[in-house]
Amino acid sequence: MSETPSADGRGAEPGSPVRRELADADRRARFEAEVLPHLDRLYSAALRYTRDATDAEDLVQETVAKAYRSFHQYREGTNLKAWLYRVLHTTYISMYRKAQRRPQESLQDEIDDFSFYDELSRTTGSSPEREVLDTFTADEVKQALAELPDTFREAVYLADVEGFSYKEIAQIMDTPVGTVMSRLHRGRKSLQQALHSYARGRGLIDGPREA
Amino acid sequence: MTVAPGDRAQCSDECREALRRLGAFLDGELGAVTRSRLEHHLAECEPCTDRRAFEEGFRELVRRRCVDEAPPALRARIMAQLDELTAG
Repeated sequence: MSETPSADGRGAEPGSPVRRELADADRRARFEAEVLPHLDRLYSAALRYTRDATDAEDLVQETVAKAYRSFHQYREGTNLKAWLYRVLHTTYISMYRKAQRRPQESLQDEIDDFSFYDELSRTTGSSPEREVLDTFTADEVKQALAELPDTFREAVYLADVEGFSYKEIAQIMDTPVGTVMSRLHRGRKSLQQALHSYARGRGLIDGPREA
Repeated sequence: MTVAPGDRAQCSDECREALRRLGAFLDGELGAVTRSRLEHHLAECEPCTDRRAFEEGFRELVRRRCVDEAPPALRARIMAQLDELTAG
């Protein structure tokens, strides 16, 4: 990105305090106009990642500070949203995941065979309507997501909520596309399994029928 | 009578193939040829079309239910922080 001095700054010497102040003001204005509209989305993502309101606020604040300091590295015309989520990801890792040092997370192999749709077909004997999904509350969906292991949760969030492509998610999480695909596949299955068990818990869906 | 796609015995190979590709299809990640083959199958297979609607509904559910607003206090903190960073 080339630095274009604003019209007012033309008279100032390069590197002079006046000129730097104008460049700063310019950067600040651009940052506010382009980045701050993403604040609600970043906060929603941070809440899902950290699962805690205070941590989410800290994470967003640190992410915005980092993004501001490295805003000159962002190339105008490229994908700003993906760039911001990359900053959010690295900030999250450095603030939280490093401290936890948990063993490699995974989901049980049986998850591959789970399908909400098939379960419902089996117990009701007919094709499930998508309307059944409308009965799930925001709290239930958030809770089901919260139960996923970190990396699966993040991949599912980035795909389903933010609509990022596999390739973008791979760049954001710094992981191969194949890994993204398998995390998405298994993460979604696991999410369906959790929601299915909530639905059964509140009697919305019957248990397996007696043979 | 419609056949529930869960009833694997009654599914054709084509349905199985469609089901296997459905995730990537809904994610918009299939190549043009595979995508049009799948679309063609969906156009004439009711159980798979039902299934597609359901899985699409699932993605929508997650998207619609995970929306939060940044608290006003956080916005204020961020603006103050930008002031500091700009001045520094």
